Amino acid sequence: MTVPVVMPKLGNTSESAIILAWRKQVGDAVSVGDVLAEIETDKAIQEVTSPAAGVLLETLYAVGADVPVMAEIARIGAANETKAETTTSRPAISPRARKLAAQIGVSVDQISGTGPNGRLIERDVRALQARTAKMTPLAQAKVRAGEFSAPEQGTGVRGRITTKDLIPTTIPREEVRNAETAKRMPLSGVRKVIAARMVESLRTTAQLTLHASADARALQAYRKRLKHSGKPHDIERITLNDMVLYAVSRTLPQFPYMNALLKEGAIWQMDSVNLAFAVDTPRGLLVPVISDADKRTLKNLAAESARLAETCQMGTVKPHELEGGTFTVTNLGSLGIEMFTPILNPPQVGILGVSAILPMPVEIDGETQFVPHIGLSLTIDHQAVDGAPGARFLQALAQNLGQFDLLLAF
Amino acid sequence: MTKTLLIDPAEARQRGELTAPTIPINAYVPDSAREAARFGRDGLRCIYSDMVLIREFETMLDRIKKEGSYEGIAYNHKGPAHLSIGQESAAVGQCYVLEPEDFIFGSHRSHGEIIAKGLSAIRKLSDGALTTITRSYMDGAIQRVVDQFSRADTVQDNAVDYLLYGALAEIFGRETGFNKGMGGSMHTFFPPFGVMPNNAIVGGSADIAVGAALFKLINNRPGIVIANIGDASMGCGPVWEAMMFAAMDQFHMLWEQKKHPPILFNFMNNFYGMGGQPQGETMGFGVLARVGLGVNPAAMHAERVDGYNPLAVADAIMRKREVLLAGDGPVLLDTVTYRFSGHSPSDASSYRDKTEIDLWREQDALLGFRRYLVENGHAEESELDAAIDSARNRIKRVLEAAISLDLSPRIRHGDQIGAMMFSNRRRERLADGEPDVLVPLEETRLKVTQEKFRFGLDEAGSPHPKLKTLTYAEALFEAMIHRFYHDPTMIAYGEENRDWGGAFGVYRGLTEALPYHRLFNTPISEGAIVGTAVGYALSGGRVVAELMYCDFMGRAGDEIFNQMAKWQSMSANVLTMPLVLRVSVGAKYGAQHSQDWSSLVAHIPGLKVYFPATAYDAKGMLNLALRGTDPVVFFESQRLYTEPETLVQGGVPIEYYEVEEGEPAVRRTGTDITIITIGATLYRALEAADILQRRYGLSAEVIDARFINPLNYAPLAESIRKTGKGVLASDACERGSFLHTMASTLSQLTFDYLDAPIVVVGAPNWITPPAELEEMFFPQASWLIDAIHEQILPLEGHISAAQRSADELIKRHKAGI
Repeated sequence: MTVPVVMPKLGNTSESAIILAWRKQVGDAVSVGDVLAEIETDKAIQEVTSPAAGVLLETLYAVGADVPVMAEIARIGAANETKAETTTSRPAISPRARKLAAQIGVSVDQISGTGPNGRLIERDVRALQARTAKMTPLAQAKVRAGEFSAPEQGTGVRGRITTKDLIPTTIPREEVRNAETAKRMPLSGVRKVIAARMVESLRTTAQLTLHASADARALQAYRKRLKHSGKPHDIERITLNDMVLYAVSRTLPQFPYMNALLKEGAIWQMDSVNLAFAVDTPRGLLVPVISDADKRTLKNLAAESARLAETCQMGTVKPHELEGGTFTVTNLGSLGIEMFTPILNPPQVGILGVSAILPMPVEIDGETQFVPHIGLSLTIDHQAVDGAPGARFLQALAQNLGQFDLLLAF
Repeated sequence: MTKTLLIDPAEARQRGELTAPTIPINAYVPDSAREAARFGRDGLRCIYSDMVLIREFETMLDRIKKEGSYEGIAYNHKGPAHLSIGQESAAVGQCYVLEPEDFIFGSHRSHGEIIAKGLSAIRKLSDGALTTITRSYMDGAIQRVVDQFSRADTVQDNAVDYLLYGALAEIFGRETGFNKGMGGSMHTFFPPFGVMPNNAIVGGSADIAVGAALFKLINNRPGIVIANIGDASMGCGPVWEAMMFAAMDQFHMLWEQKKHPPILFNFMNNFYGMGGQPQGETMGFGVLARVGLGVNPAAMHAERVDGYNPLAVADAIMRKREVLLAGDGPVLLDTVTYRFSGHSPSDASSYRDKTEIDLWREQDALLGFRRYLVENGHAEESELDAAIDSARNRIKRVLEAAISLDLSPRIRHGDQIGAMMFSNRRRERLADGEPDVLVPLEETRLKVTQEKFRFGLDEAGSPHPKLKTLTYAEALFEAMIHRFYHDPTMIAYGEENRDWGGAFGVYRGLTEALPYHRLFNTPISEGAIVGTAVGYALSGGRVVAELMYCDFMGRAGDEIFNQMAKWQSMSANVLTMPLVLRVSVGAKYGAQHSQDWSSLVAHIPGLKVYFPATAYDAKGMLNLALRGTDPVVFFESQRLYTEPETLVQGGVPIEYYEVEEGEPAVRRTGTDITIITIGATLYRALEAADILQRRYGLSAEVIDARFINPLNYAPLAESIRKTGKGVLASDACERGSFLHTMASTLSQLTFDYLDAPIVVVGAPNWITPPAELEEMFFPQASWLIDAIHEQILPLEGHISAAQRSADELIKRHKAGI
């Protein structure tokens, strides 16, 4: 009997994962727990292990394939079994979709399903029908003949698909594109998620960004003392960003409307501060979450932020470490950015952008002095928070940063 | 629970000792002269010939089962035959002195009692009455067969052939049997002669017979009721429950009648429960009659009677009948007897010694009573020999007719059995006369409920104050009081029904409106609550029994599954079962008080199962149930008792109305997906439909099934055909849920239209956790959306908290959870 190996569902949000490498080859003996493949989800690199002992009979996807979760990717069986004994899986199609396709005369061979486990369902046929409707009769005939498939959009009038838009099915799509100069990279993994999240954020929220700056002298002085304290490594390594995170974690509890989520038609003010912060990684932006940040000491918070940043860089961050944030901090100060408009991370209602420390003219005792200031850009969801309350929070945060040494007493 | 009874601590704590009556054992003293005067010479000979006829009838069955023929007539009888050869004197002694209106209920071993009671009734009924009965019963179908083979020249003699033939054709599973073969050997009965259902569940007749006695008491019907049950049934809980019920103090202390139901528990003590011996082995009472001491101060007037002397039995029955008619019951008789035959033909009697059987054979009542007749000059040997010959010839004729497929065909098509499952009648009242009430209807609590808002929301859609709005519980009350004031036979009982008004207040106001005998409290005996209601209903009265929590159904398992469900069809619709069992489904009370067990009864043929989810349906469906003649298990949700109607526009009508039986209600129309619910989950489904619309632009059709059985699938299938997608949800645990039956049926009806499998969302296969954790257990709106996302139609941007993959399903079932 063969045992199927399925693409695991890691975390609640994963829809698919990319096969990075097959660690076992067809014909290899495997035992339970052996690593069969390495995969990359939108959040991390993971391993797929063998659910059974036997021989790897078949792998169903090549390296680089983006495979829906829970889909079968390989089969394990006894040594004497052959692939032929196993049932080859063809894409499932619901009776309703099959009936509809027959009714409207479209061939479903060209499309992939969007139902559970890739099942082809009614809406896939309807989408195909909509696309087909935009095709010229000649293009339709060619697609029906099976030599060509149709792209989503055509180049004809109002996006009508003509024969010159058709993609030959005999040549793989990649080769067609490679002939052109542009390098095509499929939107997948982290990139795909970022793309969706950003558009979703802008589409579903009312974003308003407020700019301010805070006197950075106390921050800088404290940072300097830490650096030269001769204390253990973890104290020395506390960064300016950690200090900002700390200040935010101590300011938010005084402004519960900022530590909140807007979902299911309600505003949910959260009990504890689960502070998300942006990490730039080779795979793209990741936003790990420091849980209960308001209850951590500066040292503990800094250690956690360092650990999370590192696992993000390594691609070993756990899916749950990327979930559950109640407020986000993103810092572009080290890149010299003076001001920006951070994009909200829904359902959170606030995100703080931190910019570079720059000297700012301040009138002190009738004299203009240049005092270093750190730039702060707060984006709020105006659906949940109005401008003035948002500004009050930002003002309090700036004050806390300006008196960072006092804040440590809290 | 009544304020009129004071529990005085001084009395309760007072020193003293209990004295009990003595229990007579075989106290009868034979007196030939007195007996001759009492029964007459003819009477004494009739007692003998009745015993002979029973002996011959059962000897015939014994030969047919063991040898395949009797007197040269060959037949293969496939069914059972639990014979009582040796026990004839106990049956005849009892029945000879009963009146036609007296009822006997029996056991699997009751052929003798059926014949004895039948012969007794035939002797006492007029020719005209006999003719009316035999010509009208089953439209004269049985009589028409008898006319073809009987050589009788009197109406009485003809009726004896009728009795034996109807019983034997029934035993052989023929359509011309007393119950069209649906009862068979263990259940044969014939109500016109006072022969009521015989029960193949040991002790099963005890509480049913109490219910019949209750019917006689409450509706002023003549006669007494005897439960003929075996000595081994003394170990059955429902038998004890029945005795407790029958002995309740309230009958003489609180009821207007000051009378107990006329019930006689007659234990046919043949010393064996199949192979176990209650006396000396499986029980500890020593003498069965001793049990009476534990039941009431009168010790149930218990006696041990010598069942091997028919005249001793007759004497006891005559005396106890007077006690019962005076309202001083219940009575317990320990009628000593013995069966020579095995438990059944397959019984090798490995549990008893042949010496024992021989000792009893020496005392065989047929020999002993014959000797008594001859020695005392009551009969000549030749007369008695003639009785034996006559019995043999009669049995041969009856056997030939009963095995003939021409005269006695079997039911030809299974659909005929299906057609007997329900009586499906509508009856405003089950008897004539004015219902007993304490105040006019206008002065009852109806006055208060009718003043309330009948719909939960005002014109702006804001909720009315709850106290001023008619609730689900009050809607049920309106249905109850309507029928109480229309049907004089209607009664209701259960735990805390009177004074308290039911644990959830549904009956609040009924105590003031109804006398005790129409609304009363019972012992905490769920078996007897349902069992007595079965007896009351099959005797011809309308009854509403209540189980305070659905979880207590287990305590009434046999009464619901085997009795309430089956007697209409086992009687071939001779009986009806106008019994509504109100069952309250709990919440917040953990593992043994918060289970939706509607699926258990859905599995049992013969029950109608309703589960209203709105106040409109609560009244309309209870009205429907209370005008019907079928057994209805009526589920109610404790989450809904205090809820007003918010879905049916116009609210709950003040006037009488009924919901159409079996018709689901579309609560919201939609085009993209169908959600079907049973019970309070309806409101979670409506919540889910809101989210689907708002967040995913999906239009969900929400249907409240309302009925589990009968159920019209046509509108459900129509909706699924339209949307192609279905989710079914209820609070019942998912494994074995009725919703899987619904899903499977709908899949068959709509397969080509389905865009995904029909998915069932139920509670997990766990115990119900404490109230604080119920959101982990009872299906929530989000669970429905997760199920849709994971199994039917992935929703863009939805993050599912549920694990509903195929692997997970297999894993959970493999783990048994």
